[in-house]
Amino acid sequence: MRNISLSLAGILLLALLPFGVGGYEVNVAMVILFYVILAVGLDLVSGYCGQFSFATGAFYGLGAYTAAIMNRDLGTSVFVNLPAGALVAGLFGLLLGIPALRLKGHFLAIVTIAFQTIVYLIISQWTSFTGGQVGLTMANVGPVTVFGVTLFEIASLRAYYWLTLVMTVICVFAAWRLANSRLGREWIAIRDDETLAAAVGLDTTRGKLTAFVASAALAGIAGVLTAHSLRGVTPDDFTIWISATVVAMMVIGGRGTFIGPIIGAIFLVLMPEFLGRFAEYKMLIYGILLVVAITVMPEGVVGRLRQRSAR
Amino acid sequence: MDLFLQYIANGVVIGSTYVLVAVGLTLIFGILGVVNFAHGEFYMLGGYAGIMAVTVLGLPVLPAIGFVLATSAIVGVAAEAILHKPMKNRDATSSIISSFGLAVALQNAALIAFGPQPQRLQTSFSTIPVEIGPIFLPLQRLMIPIMMVVLISVLYVVLRYTWTGRSLRAMAQHQTVARLCGVQVERVAVVTFMVGAALAGVAGMLMSSVFLVYPIVGNMIALKAFTVVILGGMGNVAGAAVAGLVLGIVESLTSAYISNSMRDVVGFIVVILVLLFRPQGLFGKAVDRS
Amino acid sequence: MTFFSRRHMLSILGATVAAPHIVRAQDTGPIKIGGMLPLSGAASIEGRQIILGLQFAVEEWNARGGVLGRKIELVMEDDESNSTKGVTAVRRLIERDKVPFIVGTYASAVAAAASKVSAEYKVPMLSGGSTGAIATDQNTPGDPWFFRSWPDSNAQGEDTARAIVDKFKKTKVAIIHDNTNYGVTLAEQVTRVVASVGGSIVSKDSYNAGEQDFSSMLTKLRTLRPEAVYIGGWAGDGANIVRQAAEVGLRTQFVGSGSMISDDFIRLAGPACEGFAVASLYEASTPNPVGRAFGERFAKRHNQDANTFSSLGFDSTSIGLEALRRVGKPDSLEIQKMIKGGLKDFPIVQGPAGTTAAFDAKGSVNFPNFIAVIRNGKRRLDA
Repeated sequence: MRNISLSLAGILLLALLPFGVGGYEVNVAMVILFYVILAVGLDLVSGYCGQFSFATGAFYGLGAYTAAIMNRDLGTSVFVNLPAGALVAGLFGLLLGIPALRLKGHFLAIVTIAFQTIVYLIISQWTSFTGGQVGLTMANVGPVTVFGVTLFEIASLRAYYWLTLVMTVICVFAAWRLANSRLGREWIAIRDDETLAAAVGLDTTRGKLTAFVASAALAGIAGVLTAHSLRGVTPDDFTIWISATVVAMMVIGGRGTFIGPIIGAIFLVLMPEFLGRFAEYKMLIYGILLVVAITVMPEGVVGRLRQRSAR
Repeated sequence: MDLFLQYIANGVVIGSTYVLVAVGLTLIFGILGVVNFAHGEFYMLGGYAGIMAVTVLGLPVLPAIGFVLATSAIVGVAAEAILHKPMKNRDATSSIISSFGLAVALQNAALIAFGPQPQRLQTSFSTIPVEIGPIFLPLQRLMIPIMMVVLISVLYVVLRYTWTGRSLRAMAQHQTVARLCGVQVERVAVVTFMVGAALAGVAGMLMSSVFLVYPIVGNMIALKAFTVVILGGMGNVAGAAVAGLVLGIVESLTSAYISNSMRDVVGFIVVILVLLFRPQGLFGKAVDRS
Repeated sequence: MTFFSRRHMLSILGATVAAPHIVRAQDTGPIKIGGMLPLSGAASIEGRQIILGLQFAVEEWNARGGVLGRKIELVMEDDESNSTKGVTAVRRLIERDKVPFIVGTYASAVAAAASKVSAEYKVPMLSGGSTGAIATDQNTPGDPWFFRSWPDSNAQGEDTARAIVDKFKKTKVAIIHDNTNYGVTLAEQVTRVVASVGGSIVSKDSYNAGEQDFSSMLTKLRTLRPEAVYIGGWAGDGANIVRQAAEVGLRTQFVGSGSMISDDFIRLAGPACEGFAVASLYEASTPNPVGRAFGERFAKRHNQDANTFSSLGFDSTSIGLEALRRVGKPDSLEIQKMIKGGLKDFPIVQGPAGTTAAFDAKGSVNFPNFIAVIRNGKRRLDA
């Protein structure tokens, strides 16, 4: 009960944010929301189901490019692109999930890195379809008309921010329901002991594949939202560094704790904004934080906190 | 036909670096069970160490190689303290995340310390040509397969005939039994990382005279090394040596007879197929590790 | 312990974000202008060269008393060659720092994404090195908000191809390019123009940016005996190719894309780059007297020659500041109008003698590229 009222208060605060601050702050808040979706999604497959993935950036990119290409070829709006992006990314998630049925730990990690690299190579080099290194630009088909209010250019950032917030709430809620469903408990069983999970009659194939698909679909939604907010896509926004950043968010916040990756996302997006001229040290700090976190606090900030309160 | 042999020779040169990097990687995995995603960074640091030794310290080539071996070994000791020592009783994902974080940190530390611009090691014999029959190679390129054969032979002798080598092999076969037989696990772990880092470091140095060094140069070579390790069978040293040369030659022939744009893709395609249909590698035995 | 310090930190961060800022630009304080470049990541090689031009322009203006009687302060943002980051940076410059114009950025894709946002705010952007046609092509013709004071990459490819056939008299041309958009676009343009002015293409092959071993590709190329080889791609790869070509005995006229203009390229390629030709917007030995004077002042200040990168940063910044001076107030709308049509008499340092900031309807200044040739380890413009 306390958790629900806290969440509602947080959402309300976020919804009122654009009235209190300028476009820059709203923009930063929106980037945080994108990463919240990514980190929560990764947590489903890695934190809950224990299947390691360095391919978040690839699914993020697949969602974004689905939106940009559909917008270019079919003129579709963000509302059509959202389910489409989730579907395309989810299908590729299924594709990546298949080797996960046979491979474990490091083998799987290597395959996800190869997958990430191949997706990057395709989106950056299939110039006739994806626009190559320069990417694609999209017409300004914001959520402006759907809300039935005439909003001017800069003000549309607000509208778009609210759309992002609504989508984030839906995604996070859906992920939370999944994680706490029977399926979510199956994922945890697979993570903790796959042989045992199979022995007691759980369908581990179905468990792993659903985790991969759910995680990829969420990343795809984040990709669609990002593409429309930038009104374009470029391959360099979907590199393995994005995957590394999301892994860092999840690990630092706490794997399999649900709230942990959200806190990790907020922290790691805000950090470089406050580093100012030290921002060039950002990736160095991410790397060091990742090593330190996994060494001294492998359960993450939230995991450690829960252990304390449990004592 | 003349050119065919030349293409093979080019492939052997590049393949030799794959061997040097991949053997260290497979050793660390086979003996300690650590998947080291920061292995490409050992290569990168070796390249910078070589440039420092020659340009800043003014060392001739052979002492410079010694310097690189020493610095890389120190890097290996540090890496073991980060990636293996605190992780011993954890699951495999911990060392994966940790080495990934270390790779990110090292690349960006190098970016800040050395700048993004590529650098090159200029040595006195960089332009001396050597002709062997129809094959033509600059001396600095010829050095790479020679050094590879020397180092891998030394490694073979050490593994085969010394006490340290026997402990390493014992560890690879069964940790607990090795420990019972008096193998000092901590020492073996440190030695393994030192050897792995030193091999990769020397590869990085040798290549920095032929190619260029820059902070993210380790990414591609690490991917290639993982390809080689998987092809050769995870943990299989001889398999990695053979697979490394094979990959180098295949790449060279691809760019000569098909298209240069395909050369990096060939390795990826092969590795995904192997992982799907023969995860134990081309030369590996099927072992259930669960 | 760890937990409390972290929570404490987070709450401080939260408070700073939530606090609405009511900072008003003071009329007596310095005028802030915006700069945005890749200062970290791979493209920071170029970013760190270009920023010298921005800083040099601001220094010179401040030494002359600033603009409108106020000092100029350059606020720099790092876009990391990332569009998400670039858009955030533009909003921050405009909203927090109230800059009347922005100089940036280098990566064309980021420039395109960021300039859409700046156009919404009605704040003009002046390119910080982006050469791709995409950034100016998305301008509304006649009302551009993204300005580039030099020709786009298509013009570069055209000028380079003509130089190969007309100036060097080479007709059998081989093309090597990387798979980035930059390399692909230039290679296609060169291929097309070479064929249309009487040359022929003997081979075309590509590589992935950052690839290291070109020996087999070049050995094969040698058997085709091309009279000239065009390389489209980044400077490091170009230097690798030129050097390895010398190793395998492929000696011919090499011509490179504009990215291979830096002194780093000469250093990395070594003696093998003798005779290498490259399209250039600016050289210290330029026949343009305004450019030559800039080069002398720059060399005195920085102990290194000005190059294409520092000159374009200098021009973009000077154009913005001159427009600000002529308008008489930091009003971004007026400044855009002034840049668009009011600076046709303002000389710039790039291009041949007499080049001025005469922007066309799409926001581009057009002049022929120089073709620089490396002789004795230095680029020279003599024909």
